[in-house]
Amino acid sequence: MLKAILQIAGIFVLLLVLTLITLTLKNRNADGPSVLFPGGALVSGELHAGPDPDWSFTDDVFVIELQTNSPISSRRIFVMESDGKVYVPSGYMRSFLGKLWKEWAFQVEDGSSLVVARINGVRYERDLQRISDPSVVAGVAEKLAQKYAGGASPEAVAQIEQSVADGDTWIFEMAPRS
Amino acid sequence: MNNVTYAKLCGGVSLVWVLGLLLVPPFAEIVEQLMLLFLSTNAR
Repeated sequence: MLKAILQIAGIFVLLLVLTLITLTLKNRNADGPSVLFPGGALVSGELHAGPDPDWSFTDDVFVIELQTNSPISSRRIFVMESDGKVYVPSGYMRSFLGKLWKEWAFQVEDGSSLVVARINGVRYERDLQRISDPSVVAGVAEKLAQKYAGGASPEAVAQIEQSVADGDTWIFEMAPRS
Repeated sequence: MNNVTYAKLCGGVSLVWVLGLLLVPPFAEIVEQLMLLFLSTNAR
């Protein structure tokens, strides 16, 4: 009985390891990320030039693709517009899994802030700037709660604001490159 | 299950699993969604 249980568990562990290896290798040079695994450079799609668009169109966009440059890798990420500017979040920043999963955010924080975002097939060259101003965070938190947390109730918004203040959630503005 | 049979089973399941991930995009997406659900629930 114990042997059977161990054999079944062994198959599950084997499948998990194979999944991690296969999908990591399959996606790492692809044009964009998969649901969970980082991709390579975002190479297809029109490269936006000129003035910034009205970012409110992102209210109807669930996730965007975000490519960081050092090293080149891409992932899917939430997006929020607030007060005419556009932002991306990174959660779980103080958890063990977050430290493994959100390496890109730590790299941006360390100085690799130039990114390429692909939204609805159009690429935008941006510069990620982490924000901490409570007045700005409040607006972003409201949009984050509205889009991704079932509604912008005062409790949901306050929870997000607290998460940002505690360092569990980082918010980056996708600012124009200077 | 004896060890030889178990090894053959592991080999066969591995081959099918990897080919499915590589060649059947919806299968890979379902697996990734399940993993994302686990991470979202347990990343504390």
